Amino acid sequence: MSRVRLYLSNDTSSCAAGAERLAEAWRQRSEVELIRTSSRGAFFLEPMVERDSPDGRLAWCHVTADDLPKILAGDGGLPISTIPFLSKQTRHTFATFGVTEPLSPEAYQAHGGLAGLRTAQQLSSSAIIREIKTSRLRGRGGAAFPVWKKWDVAATTTADRKYVVANADEGDAGTYCDRMIMEGDPFRLIEGMLICGRAIGAQAGYVYCRQEYPKATACLHDAIRAADAAGWLEFDGRRFSIEVVSGAGSYVCGEETALLESLEGRRGVVRARPPHPAQSGLYGQPTIVSNVLTFATIPNILARGGSWHASMGTEGSRGTAVLQLGGRVKQPGLIEVPFGLTLREVLDQFGQGMADGARLKAVQVGGPLGSLFTDAQLDIPICFDAFAQADAILGHGGIVVFDHETDMLELSRHLMAFVADESCGKCVPCRIGSVRAREILETVQAGQATEADLSLLAELGDTMKLTSLCGLGGRAPYPVLSALERFPVEFRSRLRS
Amino acid sequence: MLGSMRYAVKTLPPNDLVDLLTRARPAEGAPPNILRVLHAIHDVCGSIDPGFIPAIAQSQGVTDADVAGVLSYYPSLNTQPAGRHRIQVCLGESCLANRCDLVVAAIRSQLGIDLDQTTSDGRFMLEPVSCVGNCAVSPSVRIDGELHGRVRPSDIAGFLDRYR
Repeated sequence: MSRVRLYLSNDTSSCAAGAERLAEAWRQRSEVELIRTSSRGAFFLEPMVERDSPDGRLAWCHVTADDLPKILAGDGGLPISTIPFLSKQTRHTFATFGVTEPLSPEAYQAHGGLAGLRTAQQLSSSAIIREIKTSRLRGRGGAAFPVWKKWDVAATTTADRKYVVANADEGDAGTYCDRMIMEGDPFRLIEGMLICGRAIGAQAGYVYCRQEYPKATACLHDAIRAADAAGWLEFDGRRFSIEVVSGAGSYVCGEETALLESLEGRRGVVRARPPHPAQSGLYGQPTIVSNVLTFATIPNILARGGSWHASMGTEGSRGTAVLQLGGRVKQPGLIEVPFGLTLREVLDQFGQGMADGARLKAVQVGGPLGSLFTDAQLDIPICFDAFAQADAILGHGGIVVFDHETDMLELSRHLMAFVADESCGKCVPCRIGSVRAREILETVQAGQATEADLSLLAELGDTMKLTSLCGLGGRAPYPVLSALERFPVEFRSRLRS
Repeated sequence: MLGSMRYAVKTLPPNDLVDLLTRARPAEGAPPNILRVLHAIHDVCGSIDPGFIPAIAQSQGVTDADVAGVLSYYPSLNTQPAGRHRIQVCLGESCLANRCDLVVAAIRSQLGIDLDQTTSDGRFMLEPVSCVGNCAVSPSVRIDGELHGRVRPSDIAGFLDRYR
């Protein structure tokens, strides 16, 4: 009997959901050829097993080890193309997820990999940057700064050395797309960094990866070694080295200047800007610091043209939004769609509403510093400008849905305590403001606060917003003040009468 | 694999520390990197004995205060001896929404310790962690290198039994 080829994701979340148990159970089965792939990101269906068919891949969902005979018989498989969560998406950066083996250079190239780098190798530095300008790509890490502007500054600054740094300190709770890229398509990140390196004339690249991602770190090490062996880590006849550096559990190291301090081995304390890293970054040299997802978006832009990328999305937010849905929805997972869908459409069409028995209370977008939305506010389009107008952030695309049991006062305290813990301590408004704000919220919880304390909280929040050195202190008040504004009874009913 | 290496309890013989620090010495004209050295020691020992600070400082050509500053800054660099098994329970927002508080309560009641404590027999240490990127199958608990998703409080006893 010939062996049947089965595809099983090796992604951290797939394994945590049971994929690793299946792999262990089936490893000795002679009739199975198990291929470990990246994940499609439809995590609510995991563990998911696929096999080839004349109609494309068939999937079996929520698989247990005992389902093997059924799968081998081809009994009950669902064509991937009929899963609405996947078929309704517009996958570009994540197009090959679930299909390929992450660490195979051959598979990467067979699915269009390196086409962007090859194009870049034919172009001058300024022509590459022009293409990125045409694409209107904005950074995907949270700041949404036009990518070409940074590259242009770094390219036109004269220096002995220049660096490319991928920010893989994906610390916003509720986000995991960078982890998926590093584990599932690491060559795409490497290709994006190479293109950037050639555009600005850099000699070396670093990936600063958070320590909470051991598998991503290991995959990147292997991918860099494989890329080096394949001769990819060079352009213009000289070597471009890439090294992975581990963080050590500090959230603020996701802020670009704190990240650079940490990369130099020091405390991850924020630097005052200007100068911006593109002028003076790592060891004082011009440095492009961009998020993993931003680098992974670059290869397609070079391969398909900047105007292709600019043809998608909204006026100020071109291309696709990569959203990561979590919390109390029925269908959590990774979603890539053009910018412009409303938050409600995303929750309804992809999340398929709330988990059984749960009623929606609040939605937090953009990580622990993101504002909270109520049901009545969900018709906001997913794009940078609409969110900015609403005093909110898209951040890194994390969407966490909270249900009716959520205590908004306790959630607010938790978020402020997080900032107090993670503040680097450089500026007073963040270092002291976050502690005082947490104390006020604890006073409310203890039933000892008055209306004056809530006014003080709002005033403190304004000071932090206006005077903090970086986004940690500057954004910290938003979730708390949005909770206070949108769920006033939960705070005011606890005041001392 | 990487995880299990990091969590193993080992002591570092003085000669090994000297070797490690010699290898970590910056090349002529190159800048020091304190965090890199601390990682290297932490990977071997599972924690960093503050008594190593002067030797580390000397190897990097920095002050004791520089090293102590970096060591105390980063949450994942432990200075207390590590337990044999490291339980990390995620307190990220998706885990919170999926009631990780009940998971924490189950672990606390079964081990009789609070977050950031180690059991008296040194078997388990319990640490909070802010997001392990497993949000779509939360709540999450990592024990040594192994990450568990969609954890229910009733799963905890079975998990703990597997680690001695």
